[in-house]
Amino acid sequence: MRLLALIFLLLFIAAGVVFGALNADLVSYDLGFAHVSVPKGAAALVAVVIGWVLGGLTAWLGTSVSHRRRRRRERADIKASAAPAA
Amino acid sequence: MNPIWLWLLVLIPPAAFACGWWAARRTHVRRSGDRVNELSSDYFRGLNYLLNEEQDKALEVFVRLAEYNRDTVETHLALGNLFRKRGEVDRAIRLHQHLVSRPGLSDEMKTVALLELGEDYMRAGLLDRAETLFSDLVAMDALAPSALRHLIAIYQHEREWHKAIEHARRMEGMTGEDESAMIAQFYCELAEQSRQHGARTEARDYLREAFICQRDCVRAHMIMGRLYAEEGEVGQAVDAYEAAIAADIAFVPEILPPLLNCYARSQQMERAERFLREIMDRYHGISPVLALTRLYEGRDGERTAIDFLTGQLRKRPSVRGLMALIDATMDKVSGEARENYLILRDLTRKLLEGQAMYRCSRCGFGAKAHHWQCPSCKNWGTVRPIHGVANE
Repeated sequence: MRLLALIFLLLFIAAGVVFGALNADLVSYDLGFAHVSVPKGAAALVAVVIGWVLGGLTAWLGTSVSHRRRRRRERADIKASAAPAA
Repeated sequence: MNPIWLWLLVLIPPAAFACGWWAARRTHVRRSGDRVNELSSDYFRGLNYLLNEEQDKALEVFVRLAEYNRDTVETHLALGNLFRKRGEVDRAIRLHQHLVSRPGLSDEMKTVALLELGEDYMRAGLLDRAETLFSDLVAMDALAPSALRHLIAIYQHEREWHKAIEHARRMEGMTGEDESAMIAQFYCELAEQSRQHGARTEARDYLREAFICQRDCVRAHMIMGRLYAEEGEVGQAVDAYEAAIAADIAFVPEILPPLLNCYARSQQMERAERFLREIMDRYHGISPVLALTRLYEGRDGERTAIDFLTGQLRKRPSVRGLMALIDATMDKVSGEARENYLILRDLTRKLLEGQAMYRCSRCGFGAKAHHWQCPSCKNWGTVRPIHGVANE
C-alpha cells in the first residue's frame, strides 16, 4: 500500500514538472496594490497548495474544538456521577 | 487569458481544499484509533487487576478509562459493578442512573444499565424500587429471564409466595428450564403458613399442588405427616413420614424424631423396628442406630441396647454414638473409671458443639440446624446432613 502511494506521488510530481514545463509562459495578476507575473504552471501549483492547506486547517480546527468541548462535558458528568456521597 | 485556464484556476482551489480536508480527517481518525488501542490496553490492565483481586487499582484504571472515553458504556458498567461489590452502593446507583439517563444510548445498553441499577437497589435494600424496575423490564420483555430471577428473589425475601410461584412459572415458560422443585418449595411454604394458622384444608390444597410440581417432595411429605399427627391420625402420619424417607433417605435425621413419636403413639413398635432395621442397610448415618438403641433399651433392657450399640459402633464409628454409649454405661462404673468417663463425655460434647451438622451441597455453607433454603446461596433443598465421624 505504502509503495503504491509512493508510485502515485512520483507520477504526480512528474506530471507537475511536465505541466510546468509545457506552461512556462507568464501570466500576470493585478492584485490592486501590485502587478504580479508568474508562470502559468506555478500559479496552478500555488492554488493547489493554498486550497490543500486551508482544507486541512478547517478539518483539524473542527474536530479538535468539538473533541475538547466533549471532554470537558464528560469530566463534569463523571465527577457528578462518581462523587462519594456527602 | 485563455478561458480554459481561467476555469482551471477557479476549480483547482476548491478541489484542493476538499482533498486537504479529507486528508486531515483521515489522519485524525487514525490517531483516534491509536488512542482507542491505548484505552483497550488500559481496559485489559484493569481487568487484570480485577482478576488478581486488586480492586483498588482496578477502580483507579476504570475511573480514568471512563473519564477519557464516554462512548465505552461497558467501562461504566464495570465500574458500577465494582462499586457495588465494594459496598459503595450509592456510588453504583448514581453511576447507573447517569448511564440510564444518557441520551443516545442504545436500547440494549439501556436495558443492561437498568438491570444493573435494579441490582444496586436490591443490594441497598430498596426492594420496592428494584421490584418496580425489574417488573418494567419483564413487561418490556427485555432481559426478562434475569429480571424474573431477581423478582423471584425479591418475592422470596418478602415471603410473597403466590407472586414467587407466578413469576417462577413465567420463567419456566420463557427459559424452558425446569423450576418445579423450587415451585414445590414455595407451595410447602404456603402450606406451612396455613398449618400454623390452623387452616388445615388450605394447607392440604397447597401440599397437593406441591406434589403435582414434584411427586417426591420430601418436605411436602413431612408437612403432611405433621398435619396428620396434629389431627390424631397417627397411622397416616407414619405412612407420610415413611414416604418422606423413601423419597430422600438423606433426610433421615430430620424425619426420624417425629416418625418415632408417631410409632410410639400408634403402638406400632414392631413396625418401627422393622423399618429402622431396613433403613440401616441403606443409610449409613448414626441416627437409625441411636433410635433402635433407645427402642431396645425400652423393650429388652439396657444390656441388649448396649450390646447392639457397641456392635454397631464397630461398624460405623461415630462421636454421637460414643456419647450415647458413655451415657448408657455411666451408671455401671464408679471411682476413677467414672471420673474418666465424665472427662470423655465432656470432650465428646465439646467436639459436637463446634461441629456443623448440615452443609449446602452448592455453596458449602455449614449450619447446625436444617434449612430448606440455604441462607447463603438461597438455593432450595441443597442443605443436607454431613456424614462423618463427628457428624451424622
